Amino acid sequence: MKLAFLITLAAGLPLFGGAADAALTTESPDAASSTNVNARYIIESVNILGSQTKALSRSLRDELRRVVGDNLDSIRLQKLASRIKDELRVAKVKIHVTRGTVPNHVLVNFEVAKKPVDLKVAKFLYDSKQGWSGEASATTYAAGNAFTLGLASDDDAMVERYTGIRAKFERDNLGTDRLGMRFEFDDFHEMWNQATVSQDPSAIYRSRQTFMPEAKVVLIEPLEVDFGVRFARFRLSTPGATTESSNAVVSTLRYHQRWGSGEDLQEQDLEGSYSMDATMHLLHTDANYVRQTAQARYKFRRDRSSVEVSFMAGLTGGETPLFDRFVLGNASMLRGWSKFDLDPVGGSHVVYGSVDYTYRYYQVFYDTGAVWDRPQDRDQKQSVGAGFKKEGFQLAVAFPVGAPRPIPVFYAGMNF
Amino acid sequence: MPIRSIKPWWLFVAFLSGMVLAMVAEAMLSEDLILDHRNHRLEFSAPRTDFFAGQPMVRLRNAAEVPFVIKTTLFSGKKDHVFTSAADRFIVSFDLWETTDKAYSVVKLAAPRKSVKNLTAKQAQAWCLSQMGLDTTGLSGSEPLWARLEVSAEDPAREGSPLGDSVNSSGINLSILVDIFSRPGSQPPKLLEYPSFTLDQLKSTRGS
Repeated sequence: MKLAFLITLAAGLPLFGGAADAALTTESPDAASSTNVNARYIIESVNILGSQTKALSRSLRDELRRVVGDNLDSIRLQKLASRIKDELRVAKVKIHVTRGTVPNHVLVNFEVAKKPVDLKVAKFLYDSKQGWSGEASATTYAAGNAFTLGLASDDDAMVERYTGIRAKFERDNLGTDRLGMRFEFDDFHEMWNQATVSQDPSAIYRSRQTFMPEAKVVLIEPLEVDFGVRFARFRLSTPGATTESSNAVVSTLRYHQRWGSGEDLQEQDLEGSYSMDATMHLLHTDANYVRQTAQARYKFRRDRSSVEVSFMAGLTGGETPLFDRFVLGNASMLRGWSKFDLDPVGGSHVVYGSVDYTYRYYQVFYDTGAVWDRPQDRDQKQSVGAGFKKEGFQLAVAFPVGAPRPIPVFYAGMNF
Repeated sequence: MPIRSIKPWWLFVAFLSGMVLAMVAEAMLSEDLILDHRNHRLEFSAPRTDFFAGQPMVRLRNAAEVPFVIKTTLFSGKKDHVFTSAADRFIVSFDLWETTDKAYSVVKLAAPRKSVKNLTAKQAQAWCLSQMGLDTTGLSGSEPLWARLEVSAEDPAREGSPLGDSVNSSGINLSILVDIFSRPGSQPPKLLEYPSFTLDQLKSTRGS
């Protein structure tokens, strides 16, 4: 023990002697003083590395601007990093603080870290009438490019069940943040409900491939336009039929603005788009039609209550293939009704509206809409439902109002 | 070797060497935590242990303030009987513009609130431990005692939903989920223990 004491004394003496040399003046600061010695330094600039600021809400961008010129507050920076992570939906946002270019100033960089490979289940749904649907993908990033390969089997979105692969290449920045591009290739095999087959057997196809190169231009934030072409080939099921094509110029004008974010007491989200797909002889198309869709969605959240109002209207021509016709009566629009009861081959006209109210995890909704080909067939339907919703997960039951046999439909899954 | 050639004093030297070795071994085992008893207070120090090392140091060098929770405990009679203990939070920060190695500042949060500046990392850690002494009034000099020091760094970034950001309105991100489940847990507290001792032993080691 003596030896132990001598060793420890020898180790301890220089330490305490050093501390004494450093004049350890113990002071009693007032309660309001900062606990971080760097709080006296001024933030010279704030940058986001690895992502575009335009993807952030206006309130967050304003907050980032307000930080410049203020004293360093590491708790505030941590909260901002958390908000950036939430809004960009990325794995991690690291904060790097370094000395500034002038004394007593610091530079703050938020570094958005992306995984080398992003595996994602984008959609997963069980519908008590239609069965299972799901979509999963893997995305890898290299030099600002994103490559995605996905698998899908979906019996919800269209009148067909499509199963196959989806490959995408995307680049958000072509010399400027205002210009991006994307290529998508889909290869799907179809399965059909008997109601669809019996109504229009000549329109049924066994497989379809789509290739779609598109450019994205930010006109004035948050207004942007996508334009490009879509080449779609589908092999008809009727004996002796050949492969047909539906090649179109596609364009979408989109507006998306957010006020506040998840950490604010109040949050608003407004999204609107107008799309026009026009087939052209110049592109050697077999089907001739122009498809127009207008959509809007507004969400308002205050504390734990939120209201979401959605609207959609669409119009297309008579030669429209089944994959481009409008559908109501699925897990996202006119919930509770079956799309095969409303229009087994989809409609050329659609109008739809919905109101969702959510308190914490509890959700109630009201849907209304109509899908039709001829004006005399237009018949407005309504449905109501309730369920639980937490982030992407949802469990709901919906009732078709006024149906001859009002059988409820159950939905479970996420992002449907 | 003939048995008669072994001298009796050789046995004495061998016995003494064994004792010295045992003392050295004990000293080696317990030297991470050093105790000193003065004026009815048990003082802790751990000069060989760097509790800033690792992730806390990365955060400190990034201008963040890092809270450390330090707890000292004294057991008496039996190893599971707590005679007294103390716990406090210390906020440590590293001055980005300081050009010498005396860039650390510490604020002790519990009353009486205190702060120190311009310390090296070792000095800052020693100062934190110097605030964690325990009152030994009422203990007899021969009572068997044990001492423990626990230091843990808090990380506010780890707080939040257990699934983190793996689930959101765009889907389940399996990569983030894999990352969450393969990530090591929060850094366990550094735990230093001092083997059985009495206050008389501490006095005698100090006195010799």
